[in-house]
Amino acid sequence: MTATALELSNIDMHYGYVRALDGIDIAVRQGEVLGLLGDNGAGKSTLLKVMSGAHQPTSGEIRVHGTAATFGSPADATHAGIQMVYQDLALVDAQDIATNLNLGREILRRGPLGWLGFVDHKAQRRRSAAELEKLGVRTAAVTRPVEMLSGGQRQVVALARGATRVNGEQSGILLLDEPTAALGYEQTQQVQSLIRRLADQGVACVLVTHNLPLAMAVCDRIAVLNRGRKVADIPAAETENDHLVGWITGARASMFAPAPEAAA
Amino acid sequence: MTVTIAAAKAVNAEKDKDPALIRWLIFVRDRGIFVLWAVLLIAFSIWASPYFASLDNGILIANAAALTAIFAAGIAVGIICGALDLSIPGTAALAGCVCGWLITHGTPTGLAIVVALVLGGFVGLINGLISLRGFNPIIVTIGTLSVMSGAAAGIAGGYTISGLDSLVFMGTDRFAGLPAPVWITAALFALLTVFLTRTRDGIRMMAVGGNAEAVRRSGIHADRYKVLGFVISGFCAALGGLVTTALVTEANPAANVSIIFNALTAVALAGVSLAGGRGSLPRVLVGALILGTISNALTIKGVSPYWATATTGLLLLGSLAVEKWVSTTVSRRLVQHEVKR
Ligand SMILES: Nc1ncnc2c1ncn2[C@@H]1O[C@H](COP(=O)(O)OP(=O)(O)O)[C@@H](O)[C@H]1O
Ligand SMILES: [Mg+2]
Repeated sequence: MTATALELSNIDMHYGYVRALDGIDIAVRQGEVLGLLGDNGAGKSTLLKVMSGAHQPTSGEIRVHGTAATFGSPADATHAGIQMVYQDLALVDAQDIATNLNLGREILRRGPLGWLGFVDHKAQRRRSAAELEKLGVRTAAVTRPVEMLSGGQRQVVALARGATRVNGEQSGILLLDEPTAALGYEQTQQVQSLIRRLADQGVACVLVTHNLPLAMAVCDRIAVLNRGRKVADIPAAETENDHLVGWITGARASMFAPAPEAAA
Repeated sequence: MTVTIAAAKAVNAEKDKDPALIRWLIFVRDRGIFVLWAVLLIAFSIWASPYFASLDNGILIANAAALTAIFAAGIAVGIICGALDLSIPGTAALAGCVCGWLITHGTPTGLAIVVALVLGGFVGLINGLISLRGFNPIIVTIGTLSVMSGAAAGIAGGYTISGLDSLVFMGTDRFAGLPAPVWITAALFALLTVFLTRTRDGIRMMAVGGNAEAVRRSGIHADRYKVLGFVISGFCAALGGLVTTALVTEANPAANVSIIFNALTAVALAGVSLAGGRGSLPRVLVGALILGTISNALTIKGVSPYWATATTGLLLLGSLAVEKWVSTTVSRRLVQHEVKR
């Protein structure tokens, strides 16, 4: 089950003189949840943006399912089966849940009306309801405008939009930037089980979060960034809160000795 | 209704219904203007009896509202798609003058009309392409407004182009008892409504007005749809200009800026948010009809037209208040639910 889905090697990313990423090697396998921890400014969002094609790395190599890839734009990454759920949810408020979930992959009607570009609303609603059910989440009726949803429900819709788009192919890769930042305890639990369920369905997930208990609960493996370098990469079962905090703050020495032999 | 992880037993999400209050609020927001119009019709039928409630007067109202409605359609499509198109009066004047010039220079009427309409779409295309370069659409369209009215005056040689009798079929002629502008307006609104709510491109266009970033992230070229909004708006402007010309059988090169205010009032009354992404054309049509209805009834009763303007303004403010009330009520309800859990 453990084919590598996404692999980044020796990634450097400079913003002018700021070195946001410094020689990052990281990989995530199918069905695995990789947690990405680090202090503010450590480079987590930047790394995620490199993975999603929003940024092009200054140097380094990206491989998707073993084949080298260059992403000139988010559309390229989307094409390769990578979906990103952004911190700002980017939903169309005035439209209903079904329309949001179907944007960009609309179902057209059969026959001449379809040739004219007519959308089959009923089929779209059915598909959205089925997809939400498969994800095991219920929000509101799929005909509810997104602006009439609570914060937690909106988050679920945004997650589901990403999830439904990678869920079709088993090889999907889902990138999540702070998906629970705005949520209360119970909704965080729900998002947690949603992520777990996606992984169990074979999706590779990369989860950026500040929430250590969430990371420990949901991740198979946790990587820690500190000022643009990876200082830890360890199965969640083999580490503990104190160690993670140490790596995040820099109090604990990097797992990877800074000496040249670390590259081997 | 709050987020619930479904138990192992699958729940049929299709059967989910929103609670009654939410459904009622959505109804008020989406259909309130139809109720308002019905109330006005009933009230005026009593107040301005017996002249108001007659078929002939109804046709009169529809005809008077038709022009406002055509321009309002252009404004509304622009706003829904994320940009206020102020060049509409200029495009209308130019379309009228180009059509008039072509007809007086021996072009067949049909061809002249098509050229004028295509020209309107082309003006929209230019507006859209300039706006995409990061310029503020309001300033851009004010600029094209001046360019268009200048061009119209140039074509007409500074005077009105008169004697365009071959256009009466889209002006004062009647078909099956209804004046031509009413037919044109009905066809335009039917087409645009179907386009915006039923077709992929229309739905995407509305989505672009609401949140272009969301559309872009779905892998769609959002920019194309922005330009398309301007093109449709330009087309409506040209159509309105042609109907204006046909009604008086002469083309006037002076851009009549006041049509923007009437159209914008109808659009705002219909609850089309200036922030973009929301609005429905049937409501815009009713907005224009409400304006026509009020001024008609007050005219019948011999009330000064200033009062029509004042009444319209009050209605506008009232509709804003209702909208505000709906959205705050909804968000309060949702917060309550979150807290309860
Ligand atoms: N667009 C940008 N331009 C310049 N510097 C940036 C930009 N985005 C991020 N940075 C810098 O890169 C570093 C990493 O930022 P980021 O990836 O956002 O960290 P995190 O998400 O872990 O908080 C920070 O020092 C930040 O200031
Ligand atoms: Mg960040």
